Amino acid sequence: MRVTLDIGRFNPDAPNAKPYRQEFILEVEEYYTVLDSLIYVREYEDPTLAVRCSCRASICGSCAMRVNGHASLGCKTKLISVMDKDGRVRVDPVGNMPRVKDLVWDMKPFWDKIRAVDPFLQPEGPEPEEEYIASPESMLHLVGVMGCIMCGACVSDCTVLEVDENFLGPAALAKAYRFTGDPRDGKTKERLKELNEYSGIWDCTRCMECVQACPKGVAPMERIMALRDKTIAAGIRNTNGARHAEAVSDFVKKSGKLDELRLVPRTYGMFNPMSLNSLFAAIPVGLRALRRGKLPPIIPHKVEGKENLQAVRRIFDKVEGKK
Amino acid sequence: MAVYQHDVVVVGAGLAGMRATLAAIQKGADVAMITKVHPVRSHSNAAQGGINAALTSRGDDWDEHAYETVKGSDYLGDQDAIEVMCQEAGAAIIELEHMGVIFNRDEDGRLGTRRFGGQQRARTFHVADITGQAMLHVLYEQILKVRARVYEEWFVTSLVLDDNKAVRGVVAIELMTGQLHLIKAKAVILCTGGTGRVYEPSTNGLIVTADGQALAYAVGASVMDMEMVQYHPTTLMGNGVLITEAARGEGAYLVNKDGDRFMQKYAPNFMELASRDVVSRSEQTEINEGRGVDGCVLLDLRHLGRELIETKLSYINEVALDFANVNLAEQPLPIRPGNHYEMGGIKTDVNGRTPVAGLYAAGECACVSVHGGNRLGANSLLDTIIFGRRAGDAAAADAKETGEVKVSDSVISIDRDAIKNLMDRNPTSDTPAKIRLEMGKAMNEGVAVFRDEAGMQRALHTVRELRERFTGLGVHDKGQVFNTNLIFALEVGFMLETAETICIGAIARKESRGAHFRTDYPNRDDENFLKHTVVTKGPSGPVITYSPVTVTKWKPQVRSY
Amino acid sequence: MKVAFYPGCVSRGGCPELYPATIKVCQKLGIELDELTGAACTGAGVLQEKDRKLGDTLNARTFAMAEKKGLPIMTICSTCQGVMSQAYKRLMDDAKYREEVNALLKEEGLEFKGTVVIKHLLWIMVEDIGVDRVKALLTRQLPDLRIAPFYGCYIVRPSWALGFAEHPDRQHSLEDLIEAVGATVVDYDGKTKCCGLPILLINEKNSVDMVAKHTSTAQHLGANAMVTPCPLCHLNLDGYQPKAAKQSGIGIHMPILHLPQLIGLAMGFSPKEMGMERHIVSTREVEEAIAGRSAVGAGRR
Repeated sequence: MRVTLDIGRFNPDAPNAKPYRQEFILEVEEYYTVLDSLIYVREYEDPTLAVRCSCRASICGSCAMRVNGHASLGCKTKLISVMDKDGRVRVDPVGNMPRVKDLVWDMKPFWDKIRAVDPFLQPEGPEPEEEYIASPESMLHLVGVMGCIMCGACVSDCTVLEVDENFLGPAALAKAYRFTGDPRDGKTKERLKELNEYSGIWDCTRCMECVQACPKGVAPMERIMALRDKTIAAGIRNTNGARHAEAVSDFVKKSGKLDELRLVPRTYGMFNPMSLNSLFAAIPVGLRALRRGKLPPIIPHKVEGKENLQAVRRIFDKVEGKK
Repeated sequence: MAVYQHDVVVVGAGLAGMRATLAAIQKGADVAMITKVHPVRSHSNAAQGGINAALTSRGDDWDEHAYETVKGSDYLGDQDAIEVMCQEAGAAIIELEHMGVIFNRDEDGRLGTRRFGGQQRARTFHVADITGQAMLHVLYEQILKVRARVYEEWFVTSLVLDDNKAVRGVVAIELMTGQLHLIKAKAVILCTGGTGRVYEPSTNGLIVTADGQALAYAVGASVMDMEMVQYHPTTLMGNGVLITEAARGEGAYLVNKDGDRFMQKYAPNFMELASRDVVSRSEQTEINEGRGVDGCVLLDLRHLGRELIETKLSYINEVALDFANVNLAEQPLPIRPGNHYEMGGIKTDVNGRTPVAGLYAAGECACVSVHGGNRLGANSLLDTIIFGRRAGDAAAADAKETGEVKVSDSVISIDRDAIKNLMDRNPTSDTPAKIRLEMGKAMNEGVAVFRDEAGMQRALHTVRELRERFTGLGVHDKGQVFNTNLIFALEVGFMLETAETICIGAIARKESRGAHFRTDYPNRDDENFLKHTVVTKGPSGPVITYSPVTVTKWKPQVRSY
Repeated sequence: MKVAFYPGCVSRGGCPELYPATIKVCQKLGIELDELTGAACTGAGVLQEKDRKLGDTLNARTFAMAEKKGLPIMTICSTCQGVMSQAYKRLMDDAKYREEVNALLKEEGLEFKGTVVIKHLLWIMVEDIGVDRVKALLTRQLPDLRIAPFYGCYIVRPSWALGFAEHPDRQHSLEDLIEAVGATVVDYDGKTKCCGLPILLINEKNSVDMVAKHTSTAQHLGANAMVTPCPLCHLNLDGYQPKAAKQSGIGIHMPILHLPQLIGLAMGFSPKEMGMERHIVSTREVEEAIAGRSAVGAGRR
């Protein structure tokens, strides 16, 4: 099978080093992965091509890269699944991290953020003589997060990191979840308080890029959502994010619908003087919207029919009551 | 160039390397870990099935584990070392659990086990089928916790000797800059892993290139039992990727093209869970005698049901789908024996010490020897944890007693010149990749599951020819930053050196034992070969000597499963 | 065709122009709307972060209502579509979970069976009506428009919940419709990225930076309008564009059209009928570009 690899390259040793693209036309086997074809280039076409790789079996996490613009593992991506009708595949280094050479990037920012979440178990009290006793259910859900191979694919495609490099990002937050969810850890509340700060769990925009990019099914965003839930449940609620989630829940329970008008003050915290600034900052948009007749209705919409409203409330009571 | 100084330098950041580092730090030493890839990229990741330990508190007996390990080793393992490993295993598991490893649990919330090959009892602790990865990441968490010094993506090019021929440091290239550094140390622990890439194909990652074995061999340490190369019974056809023994541990069948569970013939008691050498030979026999399917036999998991496959074997489920396009719940998977593990390695005592002062080794690159002629599944992770810790302890203790390191900063010039030569040389049509591929194929043909004199001689001949060609090799990449072309060339040099020790050890062992099965000498010969092959570098090439096997209480017996 | 219409909260709330525009366009497309007036909000992903089961139950209720009518659900919001698709997949993948959720619906006499089809108007136009048929219903082509598509996260990710394997055309459905109205597609990385709305009230700076990034990139590539099938994206891309221009220091002017507005304008509806005057960012140039062409057409007649 013929494939055209269009590789984003960069040689920092070259004078006036600039990124450039280079095409390789290869005859390869149908079972070849993107990584197989890059190794082929490195071994037989151009030994200067730099790419990190080792296991070829999606467990070492070395070969995250962008294939046709989206992050994945080179070794887990079959060529045949990503070639266009002309047999072309575009390969680039991951995003949101500085480039070193060709497909190799600097992972320092990645690891700095992992370090920032105190990524180690911190049990409380004396260690038991034997193992900690914990139900299989309390541990099994952590195996999915432990499946994270720290490849950086999620961080590469994170839309928040594109505009704010301070965001902890999906990998570090998923790692943090792994400890807050561990029954052996004694620092859950402290961890949640930390994660509740600026650049933490509430800055995720829920865009699902990390869920889509993760080659191991870790679904970092869903871990972030679980952290939000835990934080609210732990009584740490003095954030716009927590108030936002609570407000949406209250509105839907009350009327079956969102109430965008009231969502603003509820999120900023009506009686929170610290939030007054942000509240005022939101007003010009509101006034402009008002002039355009765009502002949400003053009397919020409801689902029609009393019985429907009751049914919605009943679901809330039943599900939330059980919690 | 920069010069660094530490008490203990650990080369390699897999399970053995990180465990050694943690141990030495705990003993108060100033430790640095040098690794050619980021720690969590290490190949310990790929260990899937689990880690063996007899937890005496729940009725298991470490003596039984030791006996089965001895039997698995085909009596070539040193029984004192095996006893140490098996006795300390239980505490090591608990320690790992306390560090944070998420071992699978039973209904009572205690650690659960599965059964592995060559053992009667289920004593394999595991994290689904990603045990190595789960342990590696937890050890790295501990490394971050103690803020250990890690030189990441530094490739060690040689060990540094002082005037008394003691190892007192390493020279390494920093990949990001291409700079060469001298790192002085009172003790150096090699934890660089196996020899997988000497073979093609192999289950091993591309980074598994026999670095430590070659580094140690070059400074006068010996390598032992290198001919004992394990072929894993279940590897994928195309790229040789591993399918865990846990599949069979959970009940999967091996069948030939007629659908027969052929292990009935070869190991009627243990069936699919006989030791790996036995299963691999049985498979190869079926394939050779025309009962295979396209050079493979079939691993059948269908009767285990989708739920078990998806929860306990989720990783191989993913691998089978990604790389073989097989849905394990619906179709049998074609598999075959493939290069997997090096039982031999740098000769050490139970504390990781080599006969060369200042030099230690642990993990797959070392040979204590606990695996002898054949390693039991799930004993490799145990080996790394137990002997990694012991080597770290010993190196830290010895470093305390060691005076000032007397090594001139100018020793670095030897490596600098050698690398400059390599870089300056014009590349020919020969490349590191071509040489490695030819070596790998020759080894896989001549020194594999079934061996004979002629085949092994052919492999040796090829390796020696390739060594000649290697001396003229140049590199294409003349750059400084992340020059993997240069690193690859250096690795091929290490592998060729090691391949030769494997070949000559195998040729000299005129018997069949464990993984070393000769069709021209099909029987075990305890009278002449119940001994370790020891290869040391002499002035004009490798020199073979032998050392006795330590037998404590298990006299060699006929081995059947 | 007849559908169970799920307009979502925003089409009658923050973007009140969308609901009437949709009604008009659907009439022309021959889509009969049977509105699910008793259905609750999908939770928009926000409710789900507090309690996933709660959100899934509300959606299962909506599904059951549509199943009872024997109609496919039509959404007009990427977020509604995605949240429902994800809920549907979770419920279908786990029989035990489905049972638990159904137990909660029982009192109301509803049961989610799994037969429901949930489709955005975008997909209905491309898959059920067909691009050619849509094209045939247009009264004018809009060749002077260079349009940047903006999908909205939830209608593209995660791909496995959105039927992309069975319907690969969904991945370029918006471009197909832009071409159908005779406009030029402006391609850019941002088309499947996030508009920033979910964090607007939490980290406004980041949210507005996202608006600036996508609208300015599209502008830089020569787009004179952006079209989106998601009213939540519209809220941010349109409503916060002035702030985005100020924050980024880039002079951004990028009219944002709802998908039904684009189709409606090409069907010959007036800008007023499509509620264009309600936008924050003026759509005058777009309207002029369309009108100019119409005038040429009129002249020829």
